[in-house]
Amino acid sequence: MAPDKIDLLQGTLDLLVLETLRWGPQHGYAITQAIRARSGDVLQVETGSLYPALHRMERQKWIASAWGTTGQNQRAKFYRLTAQGRKQLAHSRGKWETMVSAIAGVLNPQPES
Amino acid sequence: MRFLKFRPERHKSDLDDEIAAHLALAAADKQDDGSDPESAQHEARREFGNVALVKDRTREAWGWVWLERLLQDARYALRQMRKSPGFAAAVIGTLALGIAAATTMFTVVDGVLFRPLPYPHASRLVDVNEGSIRTDTGVVPYLDIAAWRKQAHGFEQIAYYNYAGGRRFLGATTAASTEVDALDVSPNLFATLGVSPQIGPGLSAAPETFTGSATSSAIVLSDAAWRTVFDSDPKIIGKTVQINNTPYSVAGVMPRGFAFPFQASPTPQVWIPNQLGKPDEVRNDKTPGYQVIARLRPGVSLSSGLAELSALQKQIAQNYTDADQRAKASRVRIDSYATTLVDSSTAKALYALLAAAMLLWLIACINSTNLLLARAIARQREMAMRGALGAGRWRLTQQLIVESSILSGVAALLGAAIATTLVALFRHELNSHLPFNVPSSISLPVLAALIGLTLVSTMLAASWPAWIAARTPIEPVLRQGGQQSGTSRRHHHLRGGLVIAEIAMSLTLLAACGLMLRTIYALRHVPLGFRTNHIVVADLAIPGYRFSKVNLATNLYTPLLDGVEHLPGVDSAGLMTDVPLSHFFMMQLTMYRGNGQKPVDAFFKAVTPSLQNVFGFHMLAGRYFNAQDTASTPQVAVVNESFAHVFDPTQQDITKVLDKKLMGGERGKPGEGVTIVGVLDDFRQRSVDHAPVPEIDLSLTQLTPKNQFYGDLEGAAMDLVVRAQLPLAQIIPEIRSALRQADPALANSNITTMDQIVEDSYGSQRLAAHLLESFATAALLLCIAGLYGLLAYVVSQRTREMGVRFALGAQRADVIWLILRQAGVLVLAGVALGLALAFATSRFIRSYLYGVNAHDVWTLAAVALVLLVAGAAAAYLPARRAAHVDPVDALRAE
Repeated sequence: MAPDKIDLLQGTLDLLVLETLRWGPQHGYAITQAIRARSGDVLQVETGSLYPALHRMERQKWIASAWGTTGQNQRAKFYRLTAQGRKQLAHSRGKWETMVSAIAGVLNPQPES
Repeated sequence: MRFLKFRPERHKSDLDDEIAAHLALAAADKQDDGSDPESAQHEARREFGNVALVKDRTREAWGWVWLERLLQDARYALRQMRKSPGFAAAVIGTLALGIAAATTMFTVVDGVLFRPLPYPHASRLVDVNEGSIRTDTGVVPYLDIAAWRKQAHGFEQIAYYNYAGGRRFLGATTAASTEVDALDVSPNLFATLGVSPQIGPGLSAAPETFTGSATSSAIVLSDAAWRTVFDSDPKIIGKTVQINNTPYSVAGVMPRGFAFPFQASPTPQVWIPNQLGKPDEVRNDKTPGYQVIARLRPGVSLSSGLAELSALQKQIAQNYTDADQRAKASRVRIDSYATTLVDSSTAKALYALLAAAMLLWLIACINSTNLLLARAIARQREMAMRGALGAGRWRLTQQLIVESSILSGVAALLGAAIATTLVALFRHELNSHLPFNVPSSISLPVLAALIGLTLVSTMLAASWPAWIAARTPIEPVLRQGGQQSGTSRRHHHLRGGLVIAEIAMSLTLLAACGLMLRTIYALRHVPLGFRTNHIVVADLAIPGYRFSKVNLATNLYTPLLDGVEHLPGVDSAGLMTDVPLSHFFMMQLTMYRGNGQKPVDAFFKAVTPSLQNVFGFHMLAGRYFNAQDTASTPQVAVVNESFAHVFDPTQQDITKVLDKKLMGGERGKPGEGVTIVGVLDDFRQRSVDHAPVPEIDLSLTQLTPKNQFYGDLEGAAMDLVVRAQLPLAQIIPEIRSALRQADPALANSNITTMDQIVEDSYGSQRLAAHLLESFATAALLLCIAGLYGLLAYVVSQRTREMGVRFALGAQRADVIWLILRQAGVLVLAGVALGLALAFATSRFIRSYLYGVNAHDVWTLAAVALVLLVAGAAAAYLPARRAAHVDPVDALRAE
């Protein structure tokens, strides 16, 4: 395990997965790779969290799945964002940004003038 | 089960493929980075982690994994049941017994106490009664009803009714022959009940007048009367029909299932508009009284209705000129109509029996808990092993709950089947003791109760073992092999506690049963005051109206009695308006006396002189009727001892009542009194446990149509009693043919024996005793089984210890004593607790006891002894087994 690995905050995995899928349908392995690559190898998604999350979000109708073939001609299950998922993403993103700015506010207090 | 598995299976393979694809893609990536195929695959797997766990977690996200597990547990439970059928049978049998008892009682209570009445919003129907502080008169004069109607605002309608006197026969022609219940009713009765006729306009709603109305000859038929007598004639409305040779025109037919007064299985009834007359215009001793049924306005409670009428009654009672009558009308009583249909002692008895059944059910639950607990302990090793292999505690608990649910589910089915059979078997007896028919099948509320019972049974039976199984530490069990683990001592305490509770509850049931048996014994030994053996009783269905123009005594009774008396084998025969202890018919006479003396309420009966030969009543003074008492001699009466005391409370010597004149002057024609010639010893009149009440008997031979009492006493009811030394099978057909000869209509008379009438009069006490007997026996058996099971288990657990003891020189007697002592502690504790419980609960059946104290020491002692003996018997076998442990085998076994 990399020492600089950061445990994902509760609920952020959904946000990351949905955001990843915004760029087009992807299969599970590609999702882990994409998140790792975009986070500069900091965020490592555990398969033990990813697959339950994917299946749960599919049940919640945020994403839909279909079997397809990858560029290497390998059969895989592709997930894509649904309209409902898009709404959920916008909502989660808004919440996340509010939280980030709130935390930033706590960590870097602006002296009152 | 297969179709349930289908979806999970498909999803499972889909998930497998998905994860395989993930691994393949990852391996391909690694290969692209330059790894050799084998290490690339290995690396991909390592990175992925625990494949099985990922699959498991993912499946949980599907949401229906619980169903899959449930099926898995069910299959496992069924396998377990197949593996040890004896255990499964014991648990199922025990629970089924408890559930059957409870369900049977629920069915009876539901059928009797919670029967829906055939009137809309029946909860607003109330029975209204007038009375003094001490007693209810049961009837109300019209003027009071009219006053309530005018002034009471809490009531929508107030109606009244009365049984028409004598037997009524309905038919299309004057040869009417079907006996019907005839009721004189107020025109608004059906509006009060909220039921309209299925055909016809019904009774006119015009207010009553004292002069009679135009609709006086209109009647309403019940559906049963319409069907049986008029063959469901659709054009019946407006037709003329005959009741006892009086023509009426039909104004309506009530819907099927309707009956008033309520009957569980409607018989033919007719409702005749009541004709008010001169006596209704006043309030004196000749004013007829009516039974009152009223409908409360919506939202008006029973108590506020009572409060309103009570306030009104204070003024109304002032209208009575006679002080005694004023007292008898000083109070008003209101009861929900439904509750008046079951007398309160029966209701109380049913609740007590229901409680007994619930107790038995509780004992059964405890017993099966005990069995499951024993098994849970035996399965500790299995549980520990499964825990070690990663099964969660909740998972193990769920498994145990599923197992016991299946057991109790099967038990519930079996119990319901047993209950249905029991109800069918006891139906006849139940119906003869209860005011309503007991339903033959299980109704919806009972079914709901049954499901509830089963669920609670399951929870009770499973929770404890499951709790213990879940808390068992894994390691010591696996290390020690489960048998001698440290927790077993606590389990013993627990199981011992359960056995104590079982014994205590069984003792409570046994005590109640013992008290009921004592009651039955006491009832059977109450001196009745007359002979009952070899007496056959025929209840004569007299078409009285046919003899209305002639003297019944000379035209029907004398020839009939002559015929019967001359039958071979007949010792004696007599007639009586109603034999003692049968209460089909009862005439009460209130005798008003002048000079400020209190009126006397007395039973009033007509008898033949020969009755004395049949019943052998004991005379205290004077003489019984004899052949010299004829229509032409002065009328005489025979009274009982109670009458003599009430007649002159100051007089101790009852012979002083002889030659006193009754009912002379004031009420009858002047000078034409009735002279008392004899005093009978008190005998039981209404039932064995009712103390004797005053009674006046007149001789049938003196009652001619001209006599003032003829109309009251003849033609209404008459029992023929025959004393004969012949077997019943021989005498009954002979009596029947004699009856047919006297009048063809009498051929259908109901014939029974005096012994049977006495037996029936024990009624609900006998029923309660029977049911309690079976509950208590079942409880005792369960209790013995529970104790035996515990001790047998303890002995099997301590085999090794026994071996060591023997090896060290212990005698067999010592070991037997050891086991018996352990049993003794449990039994004594259970008995002590049970005695306290029985002492506390016996007041619930106090109203049902007769001749025995609710805290009868002898009964409790006997019951305790029974349990001690049963406990010793249950302990003996395990003790003997312990004593015969072979030390060599026992020590080698481990």
